[in-house]
Amino acid sequence: MTAFQFEAGNSIAIRDDLTDAHESAWVAIGKPGTWLTGAQRVAVAAEIRHAHGCAHCARIKAALSPNAVAGQHAGRGALGTLEAGAVELIHRVVSDPGRLSERWTQEVLALGLSEGEYVEITGIIAMVMMMDAFTRALGATERALPAPQAGEPTRHWPAGAKKQAAWLPLVEPEDATEADGPLYPGPKAGYIYRGLSSVPQSLRDYWALANMHYLPGQFVYKFDSSIRAISRPQVEILAARVSALHQCVY
Amino acid sequence: MLRESMHAGGKEVDVRGVTTGFDGGVDIAHAGLLVDWAEATVLRDAAGIVAARGALRPLLGEAGLVDAAAVIAAFHGFVRIADAIGIPYTGAAQGRDVPELRAEVGINDFYRLRGAAPPPA
Repeated sequence: MTAFQFEAGNSIAIRDDLTDAHESAWVAIGKPGTWLTGAQRVAVAAEIRHAHGCAHCARIKAALSPNAVAGQHAGRGALGTLEAGAVELIHRVVSDPGRLSERWTQEVLALGLSEGEYVEITGIIAMVMMMDAFTRALGATERALPAPQAGEPTRHWPAGAKKQAAWLPLVEPEDATEADGPLYPGPKAGYIYRGLSSVPQSLRDYWALANMHYLPGQFVYKFDSSIRAISRPQVEILAARVSALHQCVY
Repeated sequence: MLRESMHAGGKEVDVRGVTTGFDGGVDIAHAGLLVDWAEATVLRDAAGIVAARGALRPLLGEAGLVDAAAVIAAFHGFVRIADAIGIPYTGAAQGRDVPELRAEVGINDFYRLRGAAPPPA
């Protein structure tokens, strides 16, 4: 199966590195992760798509005070012991990401998610939403979810992970160890790069995809040129407007 | 990043358009249609997506269309990490995101900053 399928008359050629990145990302989602099994990761992906139709999410999105809305998300019921925390995390991050808070994060963890599970699920949300938004924009058919692969999660927690700058622990570049595997392309890395660092495999999976969508790190601050088929100001006006629509302050 | 990319070409941009919408005065080719496409994609407006994509296709070509869609989608994903992990917003863009710029763009009115104590510069 190829990564992108179009209806007749709407075919668009997609560069190979982007097609390959999507293929690799879907395969990664089906594999056992760091804290979740392959089956759990695919169930997370299914819940992400399911959340778009949640009536409780719509009420929260419409409310002036998002944390004061009573009710229950319409979850699929496929996440087992992760259900309560994972459904709240997935639905809120999918439907209203700009109005989360550190207190809300602690409440989600108190529902039974570990910090590692929280970060791994966040990485899957970002990947699935990126890939689905791409196919939606181009009019391609939504990709079928991968079949889960058997195996056990690695359960690797970086020795250098610490909660300091963000709501969840991060691994600062100077605290990364060989056991974590490659984390950052250089000694300096912006906070957006560090976001998933307490689950290194999620960080690697995510950036392998994101770099093909936006720009690899070495090109981000080269404003006078573009490696894409649109100009750099065209790239940045899209980036800025999408971020603003989500009320992202970063 | 938008302002820096414009400066690199010797141009200015009214960054308030990022939050209030651009009214056609921005000096970026096809900016209005690009923003329309981004908004329709984020808001899952199927008719708006088709209309904007159809208008952009002859202007950008297939490769440009793909790269524009890729950027829209990238930031539809980036924000989930920034917002769910609660990474610090000060120091973003290697320090180019200064408090004055946040005020000018209107970012201080976003939920996470509304009523918050001023962050350290």
